[in-house]
Amino acid sequence: MRILIIEDETALRERVTAQLREQGYAVDSAADGRTGLYLGQEYPLDAAVVDLGLPDLSGIEVIRRWRAAGRKFPVLILTARGRWQDKVEGLEAGADDYLVKPFYTEELLARLRALIRRTGGWTQAVLRCGPIALDTGAQQITLSGQTVELTAYEYKLLEYLMLHAGTVISKTELTEHLYQEDEDRDSNVLEVLVGRLRRKLDPNRALNPIETLRGRGYRFRLERTAG
Amino acid sequence: MNSLRGRLLIAASVVLAAFLGLTGLSLDRAFRDSALAAVEDRLQAQVYMLLGAVNVDAFNRLTLPQSLPEARFSTPDSGLYADAMDSQGNLVWHSPSLLGLALPFFPAVRNPGDTQFAPLEASDGTPLFVLAFTVSWEVARNQYRLYTFRVAETRQDFDDQVWSFRRGLSGWLLASTGMLLAAQGLILRWSLQPLRRVATEIKDIEAGRRDELSSGYPEELRPLTTNLNALLRQGRAHLERYRNALGDLAHSLKTPLAVARGALETEADPGELRRTLGEQVERMNRTVDYQLQRAAASGRIALSAPLPVAPIARKILDSLAKVYADRAPRLRAEIAATTVFYGDEGDLLEILGNLADNACKWCRRQVVVRAHPADHDGRVELMLEVEDDGPGIPADQAPLLLNRGQRADPTVAGQGIGLAVVRDLVEEVYYGRLEIGRGVLGGARIRARLRFQANGG
Repeated sequence: MRILIIEDETALRERVTAQLREQGYAVDSAADGRTGLYLGQEYPLDAAVVDLGLPDLSGIEVIRRWRAAGRKFPVLILTARGRWQDKVEGLEAGADDYLVKPFYTEELLARLRALIRRTGGWTQAVLRCGPIALDTGAQQITLSGQTVELTAYEYKLLEYLMLHAGTVISKTELTEHLYQEDEDRDSNVLEVLVGRLRRKLDPNRALNPIETLRGRGYRFRLERTAG
Repeated sequence: MNSLRGRLLIAASVVLAAFLGLTGLSLDRAFRDSALAAVEDRLQAQVYMLLGAVNVDAFNRLTLPQSLPEARFSTPDSGLYADAMDSQGNLVWHSPSLLGLALPFFPAVRNPGDTQFAPLEASDGTPLFVLAFTVSWEVARNQYRLYTFRVAETRQDFDDQVWSFRRGLSGWLLASTGMLLAAQGLILRWSLQPLRRVATEIKDIEAGRRDELSSGYPEELRPLTTNLNALLRQGRAHLERYRNALGDLAHSLKTPLAVARGALETEADPGELRRTLGEQVERMNRTVDYQLQRAAASGRIALSAPLPVAPIARKILDSLAKVYADRAPRLRAEIAATTVFYGDEGDLLEILGNLADNACKWCRRQVVVRAHPADHDGRVELMLEVEDDGPGIPADQAPLLLNRGQRADPTVAGQGIGLAVVRDLVEEVYYGRLEIGRGVLGGARIRARLRFQANGG
């Protein structure tokens, strides 16, 4: 998942960036509205965290311009004042949720997960497709009730595929959304990861949860289970 | 031109000057015209008098007696002259007064009964009014001759008359101008006096010598003075609130600080210390949050325009629909389009936002926001109601919830602070009441009655 953070306070920005990276997110960060606006317009983001009180271009203006430019990724606003006037203004401008400073990182993560889930059309914290269940909160996978151990990269890949279950996702999209700019983007790595995921989720080769569409990408083909 | 007094003075003076100038001009002209007409009439009468004295001698010539009824014709240089010409322009007679002078040549008048009147000059340059009258005279049986009689008078008298009139007129006009200007000055002084009083009183307020403007101002200024007083009172209330909030804030931060310091000094176990500090930081954060939100209340009631409630409730519900998209509660507003709120938009957002947010946290499926005006002892109150279908608030918990910064359920963030902030806003800024009850949906119903609405203030 690729997340942008626009926050002018260096300490807070760096802390949140580090914590999100720890959680396996690819994070871009900006210290001012203009840079943030540009990154949001150029990068394939899954979500953005925007502070309302930015020095040059206000957070609200940044969100407004993204929405005007047709950028649809979910936006979480950070506000120091906690006034409803600010919250309402931000949400009206196109933000999807708010968080009042100071906040616990846990809370920020939970809100981000929920927002990202919602864009994939999921309303619950646990994504279920057939026998496979992915708990976005605990970051755990179960296969028919049995816990499956995944590495951080495997988890990230599966989460992205399951969030967009049913749609074809190209390798480019996957690398763009899952990897940090400076990371190695060899597509072979992706193939290896998918192979490992298949072995772990489908040891008997009966389920075939991830199908490969030649030249187009991958698709998580198990039906979403209600709930 | 930045003084009312100056503006009024200049405008009134210009109008006055124009009015009096035009009056003078038209009076002068009217007088001249009538004086001129009088001169013409007089000369005409002289002509008729001369005609009455005319005789015809044996040779059919025109003669006039030596002594004429008007003595001035006989006195040389008297200022009144006459002569007579035949149709060829030959002078047939002239008055003895015209000694050594000649009347100016006049454009010929050739039709009997015609009169001409003009200011002309005599041969020596004396300015004259000349009237010429042509008659057809029957000198013998069926024999007619044309004669032109001319009568002239110096312009001296006329000019003297006009000048003396002008002197009198300008004297009167100047006198009345002076009087009007003086009256105008007095009127200005008198009518601008309340403004000077306002200025003095405001200066006194600045200097701290008085609290507000006195009463008894004229009707036109009363909206200004009463609103100014309202603003002043509001400013004082604000100051009071800030002072209290600051005091509260400092006091309520002292306790967790004391606990933290104590822990730092005595606690040896790092885990325990961490826990204690964490608790106290959270407590301080809550306190700061609460005081911040309280401080955000503007309490701008005076001078506020009526604000329709429905669109603001809509904004809040739309925002909450986004925030609670996962649970997708049914959010409904039952507010007539005509329901208005007198106060600050931010305050209303704060009240409705906090109440509706709480309701969304606790509801099972639905939340309803209502607003309607209600009559209370003849005053109009605005009743705001937010209701949910959640578990409701037990009666014994209600007072606890309303107390500042306390949480009924620590697992749901923000509960309690929101209600306490709303209570402060409703009770301290809008002098209303906040009631916690049970609604028709079965859950909690929070009702805020706001005073100072419409004709209530």
